[in-house]
Amino acid sequence: MIRYARKALGAHLRAGRSLFTLTVLGVALGVASVLCIQIINRNALAAFEGALQAVSGDADLSVLGRAPTFPDSLYPAVLAEPGVQAAWPMVRVDAALAGREAFFLDVIGLDIFAPVRVPWSEPPADIAAAVATPGWAAVTPELAQEMGWRPGDAFDVSSGSRRARLVVGALVDFKRLTPLASRKLVVMDIAQAQALLGTPGRITQIDVQVAAGTAPADLAERLRRRLGPGVQVLTPEQRTTQAAGLLGAFRLNLTALSLISLFVGLFLVHTSTQAALVRRRMEFGLLRSLGATRGQVFTLILTEAAILGALGVAVGLPLGYWAARANVGVVSATLTNLYLLEGIERLVLPGWLYGLAAAVGIGGALAGAVLPALDVSRRDTKSLLAAFTLHERIGTVARPLAAAGLAILAAAAAWFVAFGRTWRPGGFVLGVALLTGLPLLTPLVVQRGARLVPVRGFGFRYSLRGLGVQLQTTAFAVAALGVAVAMLIGITLMVGSFRRTVELWVDRSVRADIYVSAASFRSGGNQATLDDSLVAALVAYPGAQAADRLRGQFVWAGSRADLARGGRRINVGGVDASLEGGIARFPLLRGDQDRAIRLMRDSGAVLVGETLYRKAGLDVGDTLFAFGPHGALAFPISGVFYDYTTEGGSAAMDLGTFAAAFGPGPITNVALYLPSGTAAERAVDDLKARFADRPLVVRSNRALRAEIFRIFDQTFAVTRILQAMSLLIATCGITLTLLILARERLSELALYRALGARRRQIFRVFVGKGLGMGALGFVLGAVGGLALAFILIFVINRAYFGWTIRLHWPWAALAQQAVTILATAGLASVYPALRASRTPATDLSRDDL
Amino acid sequence: MDAPALAFRDVSKVYDASGGSRYALRGVSFEIPAGRRIAVVGRSGSGKSTLLNLAAGIDVPTGGSVLVGDADLGALDEGVRTRLRRDGIGLVFQFFYLLPHLSVFDNVALPAMIAGDAPGATAARVRELLGKVDLADRGTDPVQKLSGGEMQRVAICRALLRRPRLLLADEPTGNLDDASSRMVMDLMLQLAADEGSTLVYVTHSRELAALADETWALHSGVLERP
Repeated sequence: MIRYARKALGAHLRAGRSLFTLTVLGVALGVASVLCIQIINRNALAAFEGALQAVSGDADLSVLGRAPTFPDSLYPAVLAEPGVQAAWPMVRVDAALAGREAFFLDVIGLDIFAPVRVPWSEPPADIAAAVATPGWAAVTPELAQEMGWRPGDAFDVSSGSRRARLVVGALVDFKRLTPLASRKLVVMDIAQAQALLGTPGRITQIDVQVAAGTAPADLAERLRRRLGPGVQVLTPEQRTTQAAGLLGAFRLNLTALSLISLFVGLFLVHTSTQAALVRRRMEFGLLRSLGATRGQVFTLILTEAAILGALGVAVGLPLGYWAARANVGVVSATLTNLYLLEGIERLVLPGWLYGLAAAVGIGGALAGAVLPALDVSRRDTKSLLAAFTLHERIGTVARPLAAAGLAILAAAAAWFVAFGRTWRPGGFVLGVALLTGLPLLTPLVVQRGARLVPVRGFGFRYSLRGLGVQLQTTAFAVAALGVAVAMLIGITLMVGSFRRTVELWVDRSVRADIYVSAASFRSGGNQATLDDSLVAALVAYPGAQAADRLRGQFVWAGSRADLARGGRRINVGGVDASLEGGIARFPLLRGDQDRAIRLMRDSGAVLVGETLYRKAGLDVGDTLFAFGPHGALAFPISGVFYDYTTEGGSAAMDLGTFAAAFGPGPITNVALYLPSGTAAERAVDDLKARFADRPLVVRSNRALRAEIFRIFDQTFAVTRILQAMSLLIATCGITLTLLILARERLSELALYRALGARRRQIFRVFVGKGLGMGALGFVLGAVGGLALAFILIFVINRAYFGWTIRLHWPWAALAQQAVTILATAGLASVYPALRASRTPATDLSRDDL
Repeated sequence: MDAPALAFRDVSKVYDASGGSRYALRGVSFEIPAGRRIAVVGRSGSGKSTLLNLAAGIDVPTGGSVLVGDADLGALDEGVRTRLRRDGIGLVFQFFYLLPHLSVFDNVALPAMIAGDAPGATAARVRELLGKVDLADRGTDPVQKLSGGEMQRVAICRALLRRPRLLLADEPTGNLDDASSRMVMDLMLQLAADEGSTLVYVTHSRELAALADETWALHSGVLERP
C-alpha cells in the first residue's frame, strides 16, 4: 500500500492543482494565525525580558520602589546587609529625543565605577574624565548608526519639562548580553542622570549580587525587613512574572482569537479533504473491491492529510512570521501606551514555536481529515463506485446533531449560572460551547433553510434548494463561515460598543479645553513631570478661566488581602478636588457625586476606578490600602468611577491627600479651561509659541480625543487581522465546497446540460449556491456573533479587564460586513461556477457502468 | 416535402484512446420521418449511446452531418445546439436521473424551469402528463418514494414536457424488471404517438425492439438496417 500511496499522491496533486492549493492554503492560514499571535505574545514578554537581561543581567535581586523612585539613601543600607556581594544603584528615565516624533530613549544612570558589567563596544579611554563631562552618554552602535552619530556629537533630549544636551561619549553594545536588548538604551553616569533628567536623591532600582553561600530568597527577605515597605525586592524571574501578570489578559484574549481562526481552518481542512476524496471515490471503491481493508484506506487518507498538513505548515510558517512582523508595530505601541512596558523592536522565534506550528498544522490536518476518512473507509464498495447518491446520511442526523448543539449550549449556560460566574475563565467555557454548538446546528439550519424556498425557476431559489442535498459538504462550509462570521460580528459589536462607551466617557471626563504634558509623557508616563515654574506659568495663562493640575504615579495597592500578597500595581492620580465642577471629570458608577467629591476634598477620601471595584471588590465605604514611602496607607473610598485608561486599576485623590501620603512632588499634566466661545486651537498655538523652548505637548480637547481613539483603534488592530484571516479561510471553504459539488454532482450538471441548460445558467446556479451558503453562514454567524458579543462584553471583559461596556450597535459597520461577506461568498463561487458551467452533457452517458 | 425529423449523413465518431483511435460510429446514414418509432439494438460498446448523443446534439460528429429537422447540428455552436435540445428534443435515460431534492412535480417541470417558461402554463402541462402516467396524486412526493417503474414514468413525462419533436431514449427499461419494462415501453410509445414525437430508443431487448416500427442494429459502429 505504501508503494501505491507514493504513486497515487503525486498523480493526484498534479491532477487537482487548484484543490491541492486550497487545501494547503487552508492549513497555512490556520497555522499562520496561531503562529502570528504566539510570536507576538511571546515577544511581548520577551521584550521585557530582554530589557531586564540587558540592564540587570548580572543581578540576582533587584530592589525596586513601590513608587516609580525611592531615596538613594537606602543604597548604603543595601550594601551593609550581610550576604550582599555587590550592589549598584540605577536610575531609569524615558527621555524624548528632540527632533524625532515619538522617539524615546531608555536612559540608564549607572555608577560606572560599580562592579557592573557594561558591554562597551568602544570604551572611553579615561572613564573618570568621561563621566565628568556634562551630558556624557554611551549609546548603542545601532542607534549611533541610525542617527548618524559619532563620538563627540551632541543630541537633545527631554524628560518631563526638562531639556538636556547629551554628548556621545562611547558606544555600548547590549546585544552582546542579549539579542533582545533595545537599541534605544543609553548609559550615563548616575549623578548626571539624576541631575539632568531624574530627581536628585532619587533612584529607580538597586541591583544586588548575592554572595556565594547566601540563599537569594533569604537575603531578599532580610532586605525587605531592613528597607521597609516602600520597596520591593524581587528576583529577575519574579519581575518577569509581574510583567506577565500585567499582560495576562491581553495575551490570553489574543490567543483565544487565534484559536478561533485555527478552528475555522480545521473546517477548511475537513472540506478540502472531502473534496479530494470525492474526486477519488471511484479509486477507493476500486481499492476496496480489490481487497484493500478499511484500515488501509483510512491510513492512506490520513497519511496524505499529514503530508498536506506538512506542506501547509511550510507555507504557514513564513506567512505567520510575516503577519507578526506586519503587526509588531501596533502591538508594541499598545504595550507602551497601555501597559507602560518595553516595546518590541525585533522578533525572536524560539524553537518550540516551530514545533507548535508543526503540531498545529499537521494535527489540525489530521483532525480535519479524520471524519471524511472514516466516512470513506466505512462506505460499502458499491456506493463508492456509484455515480449518483440519492441519500445523504448527514441529512438523517441533522436533527440529532442540532439537539446535541442545543444541549451543549443549554448545559454551558446552566453551568455558568450555577458555578461559572465566580470562576474567571468561565466566559471562555461559554465561548467554547458556542463555537461547538453553532456548527452542530448548521446541518439542520441548511436543510430547513433550503426547504423553505419554493422552486420557481432555474435560478437563485433553485440554487438554495440544492444546498440541502449535499449536507455533508455544504454544512461544513456554512459552519466554517458561520464561526468566522460569529467572530467577525462578535468582535465588531464588542469593539464598537467599547468605542462608543469610551466616546461617551471621554465626552464626560475630558472636559478641559487644553491639555499640556511633557513630550516624554507618552513613554515615561508619570515620571515625565513638569517643573513648578512651568506649572505656575501655565496655570496663570491669561486666556484660561480655570486650570487643573494632575499628579500621578503608580503604587502597589488594593484591598487588605491584596496588600498582604504584595498589592496590585495601580495608577494613582492627584487632582484639584476643589475645582468647580471638577467631579464631572469622574463619571461615577457608584456613589453620590456631591458627597464623593466633598469627602475627597475634605476628608482625604479617594475614588477608585471600576477595574479595582470589580477585580479587588472595593466599593464605596471600603478602604483602599496602599504602600507608601513609610508603610501602608489607608484611604476611605467615596466613589467608584468609570475609567478606561488602564486595566490594572486606578484611583483618584485630592492633590493635598496625595502630597500627604506620598510626599511632595511635581505635576505631570495641566488642563486649562477657557471661557466659553474661545477658539481652543488658537490658544494652543499661543501656548506653543509662549513655551516654544520647553519640550511640551499642547493639545486641544479635540486633538486629545483624536489621540485617545488612535490608541484605542491601534489596540484592536491585531484582532482585525485575525478576523480577516478567519473570513479568508471560511471563504476558501466556500470555493472548495463548490468545487466538491461540481465534482460530486457531475452527472447532475450534465443532466442540466442535456436538458438544455446554458452554461451561463449553470454558472448562475453555482454562484447562487455560493451566495446561498454566504447568506446562511451570515445568518448563523450573526446569531452566534451576538451571543459572542454578549460573552465578550458582559463576561470575559468583566472578569479580565473589569470595564463596563454598554452595548451599542454599529449598524454601518455591520451592514458593511454583511455586504462584504456576501460579496466575498459570491466571488469565491466564481471559479467553481466557471468549472461547473463547462461540464459537458456527454458526462452523463456511461457506457461502462 | 417535410424534412425528416432526424437524419444522419455518413456520420462517423472517433475517440482518441491510448494505443490509437477508436471508431464509435462509422459512416452511419439514415433518415427518420416525423412520427416514426425506431429501435436500435446492439451489444455494449457498439455505439448506441454515441448515436443518441449525436442525435441530441450533446456531442458532435467527427465526420458527416447530423440533422434535426433542417438544422445541421455539427454546424451550430454549442449554445445554439443546447437551445435546440432544450426546445425540441426530449431525453430518457436508463438510470432515470431524477433529482432527489425536487418533488415529482418539480422533476417533471425541470425543463420548463431551465427554459424560463411561465409557471402557470407549466403546472397545467405537468398535471396533464402525470395524469397520463397515473401519477397525478404523487406530485408532491419525493422521488425516493417511487418504484423504479414509477421513476421512469416521471422521467418520460419530463422528456415530453415541452412537446419535443424528437424523443430519444437510452435503454429506458435497462434498470427495470420485465413487468415494469413492458409497461413503461408501452406507455412511452403511446405518449410519443399522442404527442406526435418521433421516437428513437436503444434497447438490449429484442422483444421491446419489436414494438417499434423498425429495428436497426449497430455492430461496432456500423448501422445495419433491414
